[in-house]
Amino acid sequence: MPYRRPQSKYLISILAGILMFSLVLMTVNARYDKVNLFFESIVVWFVSPAQNFFTSVTNSITDVFDHYFFLVRTSSENDRLLLELGRLSKKNNELLERNKLLERSANLTEFTGEDERPFVIAKVIGYDATQWSKVIFINRGTDHKVEKNLSVVTDAGVVGHVIHASLKSSKVLLITDSRSAVDSLFQETRKSGITVGTGEDICEMKFVPISAKVSVGDKVVSSGLGGVFPKGLMVGTVVDIVKQDHELFQGIRVATSVDLSSVEEVVVLLSGQEEG
Amino acid sequence: MTSLVLIIALVFLLSIQTTFLRVVFPGNIVPDLILIVAVYSGIHLKKSRGIWLAALVGFFQDCLSGGLLGVNFLSKGLVGLFFCVIKDKIIVQGIIPIGFFIFATSLVDGMIYFVSMTSLLGGQIKGNFLFSSIILFGVCNAVIAPFLFYMFDKARQWLHRKLPTQSLKSI
Repeated sequence: MPYRRPQSKYLISILAGILMFSLVLMTVNARYDKVNLFFESIVVWFVSPAQNFFTSVTNSITDVFDHYFFLVRTSSENDRLLLELGRLSKKNNELLERNKLLERSANLTEFTGEDERPFVIAKVIGYDATQWSKVIFINRGTDHKVEKNLSVVTDAGVVGHVIHASLKSSKVLLITDSRSAVDSLFQETRKSGITVGTGEDICEMKFVPISAKVSVGDKVVSSGLGGVFPKGLMVGTVVDIVKQDHELFQGIRVATSVDLSSVEEVVVLLSGQEEG
Repeated sequence: MTSLVLIIALVFLLSIQTTFLRVVFPGNIVPDLILIVAVYSGIHLKKSRGIWLAALVGFFQDCLSGGLLGVNFLSKGLVGLFFCVIKDKIIVQGIIPIGFFIFATSLVDGMIYFVSMTSLLGGQIKGNFLFSSIILFGVCNAVIAPFLFYMFDKARQWLHRKLPTQSLKSI
């Protein structure tokens, strides 16, 4: 039978179908953000084993390159690391002293400290399927008590928060995504602001008054407000400040403390309420 | 059998898109394999099957993305529809025509994303970053696309040899 082109009425109905369905999806997603859509979980569940496999293969190949082909840089890297080690030893000593002082202060004031939160370690198994949003996939899901809005961190600081959890994997919105916002404060001055993502590899700190003293290199930590990130987690370091007289707030760019482009393992801080 | 092959191929492509490509392209610009699949299926699949496949891969991409659900379904569906309608009037063969059409489609895809995000999510989305990278995104896709088209052609030829003719009539 000869091939016939689809009729225009049929094409118009397909176009209308596409527009309608996408509009419904977008509206549901935009208005009822808290709804975990079941088909999203199914697709993630279906693809995550393949993501696991590809990540393992990719890591193995990268490992070979890092350990065998890039040894040329090792000597200079070693010199740099020795210097860094000396600096860190000195820093460590200072911190130990400060720690002892804090311990003594805590005993005096009967300070109980923060609650120990349970956590789960997860491996990064994939990245966003588009380049427009900043999301990673981790290999832990509701089976491991991971749920929506839990904070995801590394030893270096904040990574992001869970936006969708399926059985064995979850989606994590990185702090560099343009929809991300972390209530933060400067570690030294304790001035507060909101660290928001820009969609690039850097964040911006908003709502810092023009009169606040901020300088390049200042550390930014989470304030604990907002209910997602615990207080005191490292968010990043100030790398650029723009002050304009007619503005109420400063323009501050913050480099994330975690290298989000190469993060491999993360810690998901579980909610404090244990079942049973 | 054909459906099974398609599903395996889609899972393979989605996995490559979400894992391997980020290592090969460590910056902010990553080619969109799903967009190239949408264009290819719109041009090469018979009847309106290209539209459905393009919309379906767009939907899967939505599920594996942190963006607004439905955006990629819309953009890839429209891309599939567009190429399905005009496929008899254009020739998309050779490096330059493929590169040109993929580049243009990438710009449209980026614009649909930007408009959807800014209109539906209002001020929540800062879209300026998109404009700075959309041209590079298009170039990146245009460079990759001829190779992928070649691979898809080879895969279709292989399928035609291996599978019974009856099950491939629709492709």
